[in-house]
Amino acid sequence: MPTRTLLVFLLLALSKPAVGADSQWVLERSTLTYHVSHPLHQIDGTSHAARGKGVCNAGECDFLIAVPVKSFDSGDSNRDLHMLQAARGAQFPLVTVRTRVAEADFGSTTIRADLEIQFAGQTAQFRLVPFQLTKQGAQIQLSGSIPATLSDFKIDPPSLLTIPVKNEIPVRVDMTWSSSGTGSSPK
Amino acid sequence: MPTIPVGTFAVANAWLLVAPLLCFAQAASPEEPSSVNVAADSLRSAVVRAIRTTISPNSFVAETDPSPVEGSVFFSVEQAQGNNQDQAKPPANKQGPPSVSDLGFPPEQTKPNPQEQERLDKRSHMLKTHQRLGLITTVPLVATVITGGMAGGRKTNSTDRDLHAALGSATAGLYFTTAYFAIFAPKIPGTPTRGPIRLHKALAWIHGPGMILTPVLGEMAFAQKDRGERVHGIASAHGAVAIVTAGAYGLAILSVSMKF
Repeated sequence: MPTRTLLVFLLLALSKPAVGADSQWVLERSTLTYHVSHPLHQIDGTSHAARGKGVCNAGECDFLIAVPVKSFDSGDSNRDLHMLQAARGAQFPLVTVRTRVAEADFGSTTIRADLEIQFAGQTAQFRLVPFQLTKQGAQIQLSGSIPATLSDFKIDPPSLLTIPVKNEIPVRVDMTWSSSGTGSSPK
Repeated sequence: MPTIPVGTFAVANAWLLVAPLLCFAQAASPEEPSSVNVAADSLRSAVVRAIRTTISPNSFVAETDPSPVEGSVFFSVEQAQGNNQDQAKPPANKQGPPSVSDLGFPPEQTKPNPQEQERLDKRSHMLKTHQRLGLITTVPLVATVITGGMAGGRKTNSTDRDLHAALGSATAGLYFTTAYFAIFAPKIPGTPTRGPIRLHKALAWIHGPGMILTPVLGEMAFAQKDRGERVHGIASAHGAVAIVTAGAYGLAILSVSMKF
């Protein structure tokens, strides 16, 4: 009995301790730009205020990106406030994006990610959204476009001169992620 | 007795085996203390039980026994008690998906603010009304400008002049109602005015006074005509002021509807 216990003890101790994440990713820089079309205007609203983190375990990485709704700047404070109102941005201040990506996919130049986006109090799923990847040392640059629509989030289309904007509001994504290594804390 | 040498061996080697685990727990991310420490505690507890099992005369230790190992120096009684509680839980052997709290946003950026949403809703409602009324106002405004060309003449009484005056009064009434919805829309603190809306607001300093002055001058001109006089004095500026006012008003609409 003691010998068997000792063996179990040694096996337990010698096995690799699976404590904490295998690796983590931190969003270093980002540019998120929504585009709104109106017969009289083409509007782009940009935010650089997104924060993100990725946690990898057993070859799968869970990513979370969040950006304050009010951080988007379209170049017109009146329009931004109206966007904030239409998107219920004071009630739901953050846009969050969650996705799970296989760690092996970081080696390729294109990935297709399933996204879960929470915005304006609604959750919408986007399947197989393509993103371009560029690896530079410990950093990965990711770019792509999320084919979001106003109806996905039950937002009434704002109007100008009684003409509503188009339902499509594609969001251009440019992000730089850096790996913070095994078990180390994010910056 | 083979039990004693094996037990002694286990106790002696436990240090070597546990030390890296303790170091790992201390070196782990400060943001994830709970999951790492729970796992480390769980492993420590397993080590304790193994040692107890090895050196115990009965080769048995109850799962809920909170008593510390005699002479133990690498963990406290509290830790041992806590560890026994941890035995009921599955080992936290991997870090879960990140949450919003991991991202370090200041609380004011993540906390819902229903009062501000209410203020934004009211503001948008009032400015939409402002926009609609502003567009409606352009109809009598344009009509007033057009009929202005026919309001002159030498006659003391003229239907065209009356029509022009009526349209002007309607324009002024609608204009000030439109302005009310812009002036009294709730302001959002901490939002500096940027972009084309600045021009829109600046033009209000032209068409606002113009919209007060034009009817006053128009009334003076109307009275002079009624008396059979030629329009003279400051009243003769009525037409010019009206044109500037209408121009500023049109530009104010264009400033927010066209992209420059």
